[in-house]
Amino acid sequence: MSKSRLTISLNEVLFYFTRAGFGVNAPIGVSEDFARSNIWVAQNGFDPSECSLKALDNLDSRKSSLSIQFEKNENGSHLFCKEGNLLSALEASVSCVDWLEFNGLNGKLMVTNVDCPLLVVSALGANQCTGIKVSWLDNSNNHYQVNLCDETKWEIISSSEAPVEKSNNADIEISALNASEKISIKNGKIRTFNVTDEKLKTLNNGVKVGDKWPQIYEYFSRCLVKSSAESRASGAGAGLVDTD
Amino acid sequence: MTVKLKILDKYLDFMRTPEKVMRLDRMGSSFPTRLSFMRTLIRRMAKEAWRFERTLRNVDKEGYGVSVYSAITPNRTYSLIAFTQEIPADMRTDRVIAEVWDATFSLFDGVPTQEDIDYLANNTPLQEGGRYRPSELVLARANKSLRVFENIISSLASGVQPDLELISSVGYLMRTTAVYGSGKFGCADRAKIADRDECNAPFQVELLAVYLIRWFTIDMVEELAQERGGKKAVRLDKNISRFIGVGNSTGLGMAPFLLKHPSLIHNWVVAKETALARVRSIETALPGTIEVFLKSLLQVGQHIDEWNVADEVQSARISLLTDEIQALRMWCEDESNIYRPYPWNGIYQYVEDNFSFECQEMVVSLIIEPHGSIVDELADTMSTNSIPKFKADMTLSQLKEVVADAYNWATTIDFSLEESQHHFWYYSEDKLEPRFGSKGVDKGVDQEMPLAIGRDVHDLNKVLLETDDDISIGEFAMTYPQFRHIIRRIQNTYERPYSEVQDNLLSESMRPLDLLRFKLAFFGASKFDPKSDLWTRISMYQGAPLPDQISEPNHDCWSFPIAGRSQSYSCINCTCQKAG
Repeated sequence: MSKSRLTISLNEVLFYFTRAGFGVNAPIGVSEDFARSNIWVAQNGFDPSECSLKALDNLDSRKSSLSIQFEKNENGSHLFCKEGNLLSALEASVSCVDWLEFNGLNGKLMVTNVDCPLLVVSALGANQCTGIKVSWLDNSNNHYQVNLCDETKWEIISSSEAPVEKSNNADIEISALNASEKISIKNGKIRTFNVTDEKLKTLNNGVKVGDKWPQIYEYFSRCLVKSSAESRASGAGAGLVDTD
Repeated sequence: MTVKLKILDKYLDFMRTPEKVMRLDRMGSSFPTRLSFMRTLIRRMAKEAWRFERTLRNVDKEGYGVSVYSAITPNRTYSLIAFTQEIPADMRTDRVIAEVWDATFSLFDGVPTQEDIDYLANNTPLQEGGRYRPSELVLARANKSLRVFENIISSLASGVQPDLELISSVGYLMRTTAVYGSGKFGCADRAKIADRDECNAPFQVELLAVYLIRWFTIDMVEELAQERGGKKAVRLDKNISRFIGVGNSTGLGMAPFLLKHPSLIHNWVVAKETALARVRSIETALPGTIEVFLKSLLQVGQHIDEWNVADEVQSARISLLTDEIQALRMWCEDESNIYRPYPWNGIYQYVEDNFSFECQEMVVSLIIEPHGSIVDELADTMSTNSIPKFKADMTLSQLKEVVADAYNWATTIDFSLEESQHHFWYYSEDKLEPRFGSKGVDKGVDQEMPLAIGRDVHDLNKVLLETDDDISIGEFAMTYPQFRHIIRRIQNTYERPYSEVQDNLLSESMRPLDLLRFKLAFFGASKFDPKSDLWTRISMYQGAPLPDQISEPNHDCWSFPIAGRSQSYSCINCTCQKAG
């Protein structure tokens, strides 16, 4: 299971990513949401390990933080890391979804210095937040806009060919999706997704994971307890040789 | 129809509460009912006239090789691909960490090509060590009951029927030691098949695989007997083959499942409790139902006589159950006890007031049984696609109220006592085998699975009591992300009150076995045979019609079967009577 170039199921995405999050000391509830976001990523044809490894690495090396603060000002609302650190997408994503559910989308929501923006998008998608525009400029100067149009359709507009799942470290702006601002990136490349079709494809073909998968598995493995002769002997069914 | 509507109107007054139902001592006394998933599957097979075919048998004279058994539904075919091999006797074990098995299986979605069979030949025998595709729905394995297997083959080969007492004492030819579905090891996700009618009820493809495994085992011994005995050989008597089920060894894996799927568990329990409440709310017994119940009390007495286990605790419970069923029969002989308004409620109440949980839950099954016409539709409500969601718009005061109302059992536990946090659950690196460790004895507390529901609610409650109501749950979760999972769980319980086991799962006295039996009873398993507090053997499909009996009128009459005999009374109000 730790090999790269595997095809895995959505249920395996849920199982392994929940525990991978827990493996880098994210609280279990946040890790569960992180895994659900990765299911959405996978359902839409992306490799979830490509998207999430950076966020897990950042938490593990303490380059990012789960510590988050909220403030409201005249321009809208703002989520940011209290210590001024990189904000972990694991926490940013659940906080955005909570914020939208509680406040609705009046004005803009800014989320500062998030390590993996696509995870925020996927959390919104996984929670059926629609009629929303998410845009950001990342640390490689790539500009992205994601329109979560409705429950069946979403689209990415990008300023470059750089894959959105590799986009890192950005200030994210979330706002209502207005028809007039639907495409705000000049000469942007548009990719449209039909949620139902993409999900069906994934269910019929599985989720292909690439060379980042072994490291996801490594984080997952931290949740496993080393076996010993004693623990093996205390497991269910221990000591029994079938003689019935 | 009028009768049915009247019943539906007033049944809510008769619902048992979550506090009564979701306790380990009662859960650990569960029995299958006519809403159990195996019963639902058999009813569908009969209603839709499924056909069954063995499409491949490529085995040597010892029975080793590959076979394919297909179930053909109105819309599609499902195929069980079975691989058999010789294994060393000392490597035959029920545990997850086993490495070889007498037989291994994949349930294929459709009709497999030779290429599919070749692919699976390189993977299925490896079980967890192989990789599977979305075309595979289920992965399973089984080991022989050596005594029964050999006895049946040698008897049939020499032209006589096998030792019924031996078959009765074991109940099966092979015992499955794992049946994996829902995306395990790359198999198809449930979402791929969830909208198919035949897959809508819970665990239908897994139980279809088990049903086909049962057929495979019976077919296998008959073929091997034929091989050995030639013209002298006979086939199994129909009443004997129908009594042969499939064994199963179930360990700790089922326990985390129950705790991780609270919405699903709620639906299971609500369906069963609604069925019971509808029956208890009947003012005048439906024609013939009392008579069927009285006959079933006789049959169940025989069934219990044949339920012999080595486990001392369960043995004592069975012994008490025998006496209680006898006492209930005597009580029922006084017609004034049963021929009166609300007869089923009277019977239930008498049993609840006087007898053990084991007897109470058996009587629940027995009084639901003759009421197929008013309860069977509930089987359609037992699935869910709902995933508990964190609701940021709930107020903190609402959350506090739910904790106070629904989690009193947790907030009143003294977790400073060692016995209250004696155990912890973890995954071993040995094939991810779930284990139930003891603190101070086993390593791995730091990697504890998040199944400490009571303790987590208790810890949350302490913080809630010190927090003002004027912040939102979203803000609370930002400050205390460690409680996000338990808040989500509590919010789910608010909407689905039967979702939570209301006992401390870390307690020194906790028996995982109670959780296993609860779940297995919903599957339709019987003859619970605990081997420790951590695992049990069971029998599945014992008494169920075989593929060539599915169209017979008594296809739905197989609750609490007895050895070598079909049900001794005709059933009533169930679909098979209509089919007949």
